[in-house]
Amino acid sequence: MKVAITVWDEKISPVFDSAHKLLIADIKNKKIKNISYKSFDPELEARLAEELSLIGIEVLICGAISQAYSTLIEARPIQLIPFINGNVNEVLESYVKGNPLAPAFLMPGCREEEESP
Amino acid sequence: MDTFTQNTTEIILESISDGVFTVDHEWKIMSFINRAAEKITGIARKDAIGRYCWNVFRSNMCQDECALKKTMQEGKSFFSSSTYIVNSQKKRIPTTVFTALLKDKKGNIIGGVETFRDHRLVEELRKKLYGSFQMGDMISRSQAMRNIFKLLPKVSQSDSTVLIRGETGTGKELIAKAIHDLSPRKDNPFVAINCGALPDTLLESELFGYKAGAFTHATKNKPGLFATANKGTILLDEIGDTSPSFQVKLLRVLEEKACLPLGAVKKEKSDIRVIAATNKNLSKMVDANTFRQDLFYRINVVQLKLPPLRQKMEDIPLLVEHFIANLNKIRGKSVSGIDKTALGILMAHDYPGNIRELENIIEHAFVLCSKGDITKEHLPSTLTRQSLIEIEDNASQFPLKAAEIKVIKIFLKKNNYGRKATAKDLGIDKSTLFRKINKLGINLPKIDGRFKR
Repeated sequence: MKVAITVWDEKISPVFDSAHKLLIADIKNKKIKNISYKSFDPELEARLAEELSLIGIEVLICGAISQAYSTLIEARPIQLIPFINGNVNEVLESYVKGNPLAPAFLMPGCREEEESP
Repeated sequence: MDTFTQNTTEIILESISDGVFTVDHEWKIMSFINRAAEKITGIARKDAIGRYCWNVFRSNMCQDECALKKTMQEGKSFFSSSTYIVNSQKKRIPTTVFTALLKDKKGNIIGGVETFRDHRLVEELRKKLYGSFQMGDMISRSQAMRNIFKLLPKVSQSDSTVLIRGETGTGKELIAKAIHDLSPRKDNPFVAINCGALPDTLLESELFGYKAGAFTHATKNKPGLFATANKGTILLDEIGDTSPSFQVKLLRVLEEKACLPLGAVKKEKSDIRVIAATNKNLSKMVDANTFRQDLFYRINVVQLKLPPLRQKMEDIPLLVEHFIANLNKIRGKSVSGIDKTALGILMAHDYPGNIRELENIIEHAFVLCSKGDITKEHLPSTLTRQSLIEIEDNASQFPLKAAEIKVIKIFLKKNNYGRKATAKDLGIDKSTLFRKINKLGINLPKIDGRFKR
């Protein structure tokens, strides 16, 4: 399974709409097999979901995201886990272990809506 | 601060409509000071205190263009008029931001303070003001585009297939998006795919999806765009570049409103509006047997033809202003505009890459210019070299006039000085062209385009 996270240094990008780097983790049997990085341009709105789908992303973990992007991504269907903040490694580790990301990594003022794998 | 002053400050802060927060040296929120800050962000004071400011404020500038960071680094205040935040309801809120240093009684810097204002009302008023020559993300003063803008609400309400024609970079995808956004399908997905960029098999799997076991590595069912964008709109870009065998399959999908995923035995219904776009002349391709006639008639229900930028040069100042505002927002800069000479150079270019090329030129200028006006030094050297040779010496005094003379001369020459063809290429009446030739004092050679030499 391929999981993508929008990253900014060691952190999750606060806003998906202005993020430009994806960490892509290949996960098998609850272990990370490979990690790669990819630049992307969310401004190309209508092509974004297609691009993510072509890479084979099944889950996208990100910070704040606007409705237009959220609808597009979920329609592919890619499982979207939005409004997550914190250190990327900690978030990824927690996700791989099957732990719920909310409320521990949820941005302030947001409700829980994510599901664990 | 005595108790009276402190109370007064609190009352004032609570009553203003601007949100205010402060951060320490580690970018953690020290105080989320007033009610407006809570109202604009939708975050309660208790939830914000002690959190990193970027996870609370969530602006497009936080990552690369943080105004507070600049203030802390350079020791001075910054104002940004074009930014947005994303609240927890997934709504973008346009804001303006003002940042300043926060000092204690002894003058030591203890952090930064950010004041922000909700600009939704201003944005709405601006849209109304620009309404007659703006549609979605497109902006134009040209009559041809304004005619399209007038047509779009009606086209959007119908569910007919639309064919958008236009050279590369004329904004075909923006028109398709505007049709979707004005249509009853607006709350459902809008997706676009470049049909010319993918080989047939990949294009089919992207559009129609596949079932597990359809081919090696197909371990799971994968829905195609026709399924995932159900009840929405799909843009099939570069439709003229598709193969004859794909055209047959696409025609069947459009007629039956159902598609067969690879490896499936049963067709899946799809309620989707199709918009096709091309930079080719499909009717000529039909004559040459390189595009299927039946598919052409199926997609050519409503046709919109976008003029190239060289036929609507009057749009350049407006587009430049639009791109500057957008890039200020994205890059967090405060470029105020463009000076006359640089604008003259832009007006003199013929834009084979159309609006996209102009946008790239402005983006190039943004790399070199952070504030103030864009000048000719900020433009790509290829453009300025060519223009400096071609624009007359008096251009620096009257750059727009010089540019207009140059454009008219180029098209006259191209059309062998045929006035009718030149006027058509320029998108103006023949009488307007005559008036301009006289007004600008353009000397014409004694040949006439109606007669071939």
